Amino acid sequence: MHSLVPTMDDIGFEELMNDPYPSFDRIRKEASAVWVSSARINLVTRFDDIMHIERNHADFASTNPGSLMNKIMGHSLMRKDDEEHQVERKAVETAFRPGVVKQYWAPRLEAISDRLIAGFEKDGETDLFNAFAAPMAAYGLTELLGFKSDVAWQDMCDWSQSLMDAVGNYTADPAIEARGHAAAASIATEIDRAMPEHRATENPSVLSSMAHAESLHSIDQIRANVNVIVGGGLNEPRDSILTTVMALLSNPDQLAQVRENRKLFAKAFEEAVRWVAPIGMYPRRVTRDVVLGDTQLKEGDQIGLCVGAANRDPSRFENAHAFDINRPRQGHLGFGAGPHFCAGTWVARQMVGEIAVPMLFDRLKNLRLHDSKPVTERGWVFRGPTSLPVQWDV
Amino acid sequence: MTVKLTFVAHDGGEHEVSADVGQSVMEAALSNGVEGITAECNGSAACATCHAIFDEALLVHMPEITEHENDMLDFAATERVAGSRLSCQIPVTDAFNGARIMLPEEQ
Repeated sequence: MHSLVPTMDDIGFEELMNDPYPSFDRIRKEASAVWVSSARINLVTRFDDIMHIERNHADFASTNPGSLMNKIMGHSLMRKDDEEHQVERKAVETAFRPGVVKQYWAPRLEAISDRLIAGFEKDGETDLFNAFAAPMAAYGLTELLGFKSDVAWQDMCDWSQSLMDAVGNYTADPAIEARGHAAAASIATEIDRAMPEHRATENPSVLSSMAHAESLHSIDQIRANVNVIVGGGLNEPRDSILTTVMALLSNPDQLAQVRENRKLFAKAFEEAVRWVAPIGMYPRRVTRDVVLGDTQLKEGDQIGLCVGAANRDPSRFENAHAFDINRPRQGHLGFGAGPHFCAGTWVARQMVGEIAVPMLFDRLKNLRLHDSKPVTERGWVFRGPTSLPVQWDV
Repeated sequence: MTVKLTFVAHDGGEHEVSADVGQSVMEAALSNGVEGITAECNGSAACATCHAIFDEALLVHMPEITEHENDMLDFAATERVAGSRLSCQIPVTDAFNGARIMLPEEQ
């Protein structure tokens, strides 16, 4: 007999925002799905359950007619399944293929990283959030999308944040909704500005891939999918740069290993994404009464897949709360799983693990955490450092 | 209609499974609990973690490799060899009966 979804009333929202991992541990022990009152959703935290869900899209759909995401961004590929999803996914993945990333995007991303570091490398100290990680992610995304190069990185960050705030606007605050719509309108303008060039000349950018896709894309499809990429493609590289740097600076023995063998930077990135998944939770909708692990779910239930929790499931990862680049190679859920597996995985690996993080350690001598300014981290749906003050020798 | 497939792990361990014609080789491996096929993206050819090595005689019974799959294989954790494919892109057919499929050291 499978029990109904239990409720947990005593997990505070601030607790989740400050440090979700103790709560994730409690929820994981309790049941396969738990209604967490402060989060207002059923949370799924066990590794095997999430894998099961991602392999059964008939029972656990990404489509969600009432979703705020559709309302703000338009109906993007992230809220579609099967055939409909596949044709649009195919149109973006050409831009993100590993070979294209290595040959075409890598030199461009290197140039951005180099320029940003040159801007502060004589200063001896900075906060890597605004000085490096945010503009690195924003300029990188501008290039990948094929937007005009005069778009300000602060605007990209602002649009991305406004879209994400509006998508998570469950209290229906009209000001937040208005900012979301305004961001979508600005992005639509940028698409219009850049598109004639991409229609005229085929190139590896996302806009060009969409313009020349086998299946003809309507302007609404293009806008919705670009919105998703701006909303979802900025904080992950930003936060994984910061988490990787923070983790290495906090673990000097592992940093020494990485300095000795540069190939380990890629491993450090992969482990950082496991340790603190930049997207900690994403939703699915239950399409019929169905059993998940030890709990009975009902048609229409909204479930939140906590990959941040699954990535620290002790049944999958030994000593799961520790950052350890030497752990045995084991697939994690930091990029999700199944048909919606992160399309930007390979570009993130290149940008963060091969370019941005190694270049920081190469150029900033004796890079270390700031001796008086603290690192801050926040979030559970999206999580990462919100400030990473560092010092180095000049 | 089912056929027999044998997955051969890098260390030589063998795992014989019965696979349905029409399902992918990756699905046959996963549904039978074969270790050594990870398939993080579950068949989207996006993760390169279902890398398998097929006998060259079988290659004519497989769909031609797409540019996308080819590109992914270049970045598989274990270097590709002749016969390397992403098993999610390979549907099981009658011709696979008795096939031995090698698994790489790492996915």
